[in-house]
Amino acid sequence: MNEKRELWIGWWTLVVFYNLYGLLFFVITRTQPPPRPALEPSEIVRWFADRHDGLLYGYAIVFIVGGATAIMNATLAYTMRRMSVSRAFAYAYLLIYALATLPGMLLMGIACTVGAMRPDRDPALMSWLYDFAFLSFEGTMGVFLIGSLIWMVAVLLDQNGVFPKWFGYLNLCNALTEVVVAPAWIFQSGVFAWNGAIAWWINMGVFVVYTIVFLTLIRRLILREDFGTGPLPELRTDAAA
Amino acid sequence: MSRTDGELLLLWTLPGVAVIWLSAFLLFPGFVHPMSPALSAEEVAAFYRDPENLPRIRYSMILFNWFAVGFVPILALIALQIRRMAHRTPIFAYAIIACAAGGPTIFLMADLFWLLAAFRPMRDPQLTLLFNDLAWVTFSSQVGFLIAQSVILALAIYLDRQERPVFPSWVAHFNLVVAALLIPAAFVGAAMTGPLAWNGVLTFWVRNAAVGLWIVVMAVVLGRAIRRQRAEDEAAAG
Repeated sequence: MNEKRELWIGWWTLVVFYNLYGLLFFVITRTQPPPRPALEPSEIVRWFADRHDGLLYGYAIVFIVGGATAIMNATLAYTMRRMSVSRAFAYAYLLIYALATLPGMLLMGIACTVGAMRPDRDPALMSWLYDFAFLSFEGTMGVFLIGSLIWMVAVLLDQNGVFPKWFGYLNLCNALTEVVVAPAWIFQSGVFAWNGAIAWWINMGVFVVYTIVFLTLIRRLILREDFGTGPLPELRTDAAA
Repeated sequence: MSRTDGELLLLWTLPGVAVIWLSAFLLFPGFVHPMSPALSAEEVAAFYRDPENLPRIRYSMILFNWFAVGFVPILALIALQIRRMAHRTPIFAYAIIACAAGGPTIFLMADLFWLLAAFRPMRDPQLTLLFNDLAWVTFSSQVGFLIAQSVILALAIYLDRQERPVFPSWVAHFNLVVAALLIPAAFVGAAMTGPLAWNGVLTFWVRNAAVGLWIVVMAVVLGRAIRRQRAEDEAAAG
């Protein structure tokens, strides 16, 4: 029996989920790359109509698999448990990212489902749902900002060498993308708008690099991990979680 | 007072909270005969404006607002039992805790949308329809954390290889069946009538019955596990 099966379940969930996430958002729902914020209500009605089935079925799949983020975030939190830092880092990261699932994809899915299910809805309200979808998705920044900073500090403080120090600074890059996306709440066009070069393209570029890097680093961590065949940790004798 | 006494106390809050949930469910006029998504904006506005319905909508949703999170302590107890399993890492317990944070938050959002629709029922019917849609779609489609919680628990049980596992393996099979029964509800937006609509057999009745059954079964097996743990602790203390 593979002693590392729990870690491999977590890692494979991460890999499958991120691929599926890309497929669902870019191909099936066609909500990424994002459309222009400055559409007229009639154009927004057409935007929903063009993607009717993709939105309804695509987000249904997002809703079914969305809870997989729990095991993914648990795996990332576990990397912090392996570090020579307080458990507070792992717990804080786990809770922040548990909540991040809502603005990270579920709110957008709910807004797009409600928009697509009644194509004859008042266009002014369709426009509100459109804004709700994209601004909740791109404009919720704090959970990812603070979450990345917690991981960064944990990596930089760690004496166990779980991750290389440069990965700590890559977390800072990811955190900074959440800072530069803030003007999406103010601008409806240009580089700072939610579809702009800064708010979307740089953000997405950094996020993709960051994700590939941490997937690779976690894989190496699991390969390196040596549980041996000794007794199971904290079994029976220590009931504390 | 031992640690498990406190745990049993938390577990025994469940029957009380469950009675309140059931009462709130029966009180809400949109649940007993679940309202159809095919209603027009005017019909939905009339539902909220009906003086028979309005207080029942408000009181039932206030009850849910108070007591829906009453399930979080039970999930915390499940997380503690997972920590007692023969695992190498705390990953499954962490994942259940993550589900416990996400799930109730989503239910509370649906609750807020219903209360908002009922707060000013004389609003433009299109706005009442929007809040009503947001409430029903959020309530019905958000099965992700419930599915994850069942699948994670099932995996944790399957990988609990010890002489006397914390939960018997049928609990894992049961959780996978429950997870499968929740899947159709995610497609609620795609159907205005039929079994997938938010008042349909699969989305409303099967899903809610599965959740109800899950709560009852998990409460019973959890109670047994905690009692066994207490007996073992007492035997170890001699």
